[in-house]
Amino acid sequence: MSTASTAFPRRSKRINITFWLGLVLVGGISLAGILSLFWTPYALSDMAGGRLEAPNASHWAGTDRLGRDMFTQLMIGARIALIVGCGAVGIGAAIGVTTGLLAAFATRFLDDALAAFMDILIAFPTLLVAMLVVAAREESSLGTAILALGIGVSPIIARITRILTKQVLGQDYIIAARVSGTSWGAIVFWHILPNIVPFLAVNLALQFGLAVMAEASLSYLGLGAPPPNASWGHMLHEAQGTVYTAPWGAILPGLALFALVIGINLLADGLRDRFDPSRRDM
Amino acid sequence: MLSKTDVFPRRSLRLHSTVAALTFVSAFASTAMAEGFNPTAVINIGSLYEPQNLDNTAGAGQGINEAFNGNVYEGLFVLTDSGDVEPKLIDGYDISEDRLTYTFTLKEGVSFHSGDPLTAADVKSSIERVTAENSASSRKRTLAVIESVETPDDKTVVIRLNTPSISLPYNLSYVWIVNDDAGDISARADGTGPYTLQEWRRGSALAMVPFEGYWGDAPSNGGVMFQYFTDATAQNNALLTGAVDIITSVQSPDALSLFADNPDFTVSEGASTTKELLAYNDRIAPFDSVKVRSALARAVDNKKLLSAIWGDYGTLIGSFVPPTDPWFVDLTDVNAYDPDSAKEMLAEAGYPDGFSFTLDTPDYDPHPVVAQFLQNELAKVGVEVKINIITANEWYTKVYKAQDFEATLQEHVNHRDIVFYGNPNFYWGYDNPEVVKLIADSEGVSSIDAQTEMLTKANKIIAEDAASMWLYLYPQIVVSTSNVSDYPLNGLNAQFFVSNIKKAD
Repeated sequence: MSTASTAFPRRSKRINITFWLGLVLVGGISLAGILSLFWTPYALSDMAGGRLEAPNASHWAGTDRLGRDMFTQLMIGARIALIVGCGAVGIGAAIGVTTGLLAAFATRFLDDALAAFMDILIAFPTLLVAMLVVAAREESSLGTAILALGIGVSPIIARITRILTKQVLGQDYIIAARVSGTSWGAIVFWHILPNIVPFLAVNLALQFGLAVMAEASLSYLGLGAPPPNASWGHMLHEAQGTVYTAPWGAILPGLALFALVIGINLLADGLRDRFDPSRRDM
Repeated sequence: MLSKTDVFPRRSLRLHSTVAALTFVSAFASTAMAEGFNPTAVINIGSLYEPQNLDNTAGAGQGINEAFNGNVYEGLFVLTDSGDVEPKLIDGYDISEDRLTYTFTLKEGVSFHSGDPLTAADVKSSIERVTAENSASSRKRTLAVIESVETPDDKTVVIRLNTPSISLPYNLSYVWIVNDDAGDISARADGTGPYTLQEWRRGSALAMVPFEGYWGDAPSNGGVMFQYFTDATAQNNALLTGAVDIITSVQSPDALSLFADNPDFTVSEGASTTKELLAYNDRIAPFDSVKVRSALARAVDNKKLLSAIWGDYGTLIGSFVPPTDPWFVDLTDVNAYDPDSAKEMLAEAGYPDGFSFTLDTPDYDPHPVVAQFLQNELAKVGVEVKINIITANEWYTKVYKAQDFEATLQEHVNHRDIVFYGNPNFYWGYDNPEVVKLIADSEGVSSIDAQTEMLTKANKIIAEDAASMWLYLYPQIVVSTSNVSDYPLNGLNAQFFVSNIKKAD
């Protein structure tokens, strides 16, 4: 970062590029995922192609061992990635924000206890927590994976919510509201949430990327949604044995994963620059 | 995998003519290199099967057969790589009229690595090691027909049986002759084979050197080192970089692309006994119906499946019996691919709208991808397959032990394992009294031809009953550097005889 005097024009340009690039990547993948609900080049169960065809005019991303179209699988994979990302972040936010608010308002003892518990959870990698949940459920399905990842990302969200809430709670206007007889519920709803949501949104976007990566890892390990769900992680798993003869089978889902995660991070970066008062150019 | 310890095979004394006709490779690979070899060169062999210990009656796993059978230990008989059962430590034997008494004459001049000469007492104690109460040997059950082992003199062994057993010589080929003074052999060895154990480095390698006092031909190499890998990719890389000279079996055609068109390596295809199959639980509806099973068999294009998994390798056999078994017949025409008739048969069986079942699928290649293929194929005739991915351990407890499943995928590695269909309590629960009787009676017959005839008949009935869905026979592929030759290709029952392997400088 350069000095304040020169930062203003450069910064705004950078914001635009990262934000728009992120939007294009995430938007493109989202469109592909939504489109897959209505149309794909082939049916997922169509095995009419040859074994491990290289990308060509009729199979834009080639075919897998069974002769299934890889582009179709990439589109369905985009849909699964989005469902997992949104679902996990939704569950994570529901658990995390509630816990975070609770901790912020709680007595010293409960706050400490919750904070310690969250710290312990954070110490476990998200993937590990998710694997434990999948193992406990004794079956792998998309729903289990989403639940597992939601639980996995929730402690970080809880911690950030708690810190943000505590900051807001110290503000004069909260004391003013309290003195004027506003109930705690109304304070949370009218004063705290509107103030923390922008920062929380940035963090949720980052957790989205994390959840998508973790789902790919789960599927790669065979703990994600069962076949024939064409998750990108599952495609990577299938491609690892044929990586010498058909490298595109591993490269393309890898690129898709990279594009979505980098896109969402760029988007989050852009959002943060827009909302973060400490970075806001006066 | 269904481990090789679960085998219950019956073996004939001589190679059946169909085997000779159908085995398209010779027992040993031979290349032009054989001439200028270095008799002191050490051969490095890459394997995925490290033994758990060094005692084949103590649950050591298939790796111990690979490393020790015929190399460190020998039996009264040997199962050669081409499938023959030949005398090894005996000069000859007589069978009594009632086929209940076998009298063996031991070879002269055989001694153990420790220097002790081979005597009848060693043979008796070796057989008793296998049949003992605490033995974990898979041979135990097949050798239960042995009533007593007698040693009238040092060079004569008499085995008395309860009932005639035409497979006795075959079964004896698995019984290591161990020095009766050896004691616990789980971490050391004292056999009569051409190699002595030099060192076993647990977790990485097992080294053997030629035995100076060997009774037969001396090995054509200066020793052998089995190097153990837990991962096929690491094993392939070891061959590429020259860390090993041979890998004993390649697990996918795509790994072969590294070696196939490369003059530095030799790729050889042997005769395989590994079968991929969908096993129904034949006890439960709808799989208790021959019509339903036949319909499902007709709905699946095995040829397309085989080429998806193995490219140009592998074979379709249409039954559970590979071409190396004497009772092999080509049954690919029975319930051949015909989706239209599959639909009709399902309707006749009372399932005009199909049905749905759960397929317990082991989590390692190729099962998940095979399961997806079957899911797509069976969907076309209205049958819905739910894929349930399980680990190998879960397979063993849930499917094999508890028999709590509808259908499952599995690869069966043993040869002559048609006998599984003669056991109604086996995990797949196939129970046809005619087959049970044929398979049981085939052990008591007096000639190999009669045994072959009965098992061929059983094979046909099992195929016509569509007892399971036999998908394809794996290829057996050995890859070596091109300066190594004369290694066994077929690896029947995981054996890997190393004594003839030659390495050029």
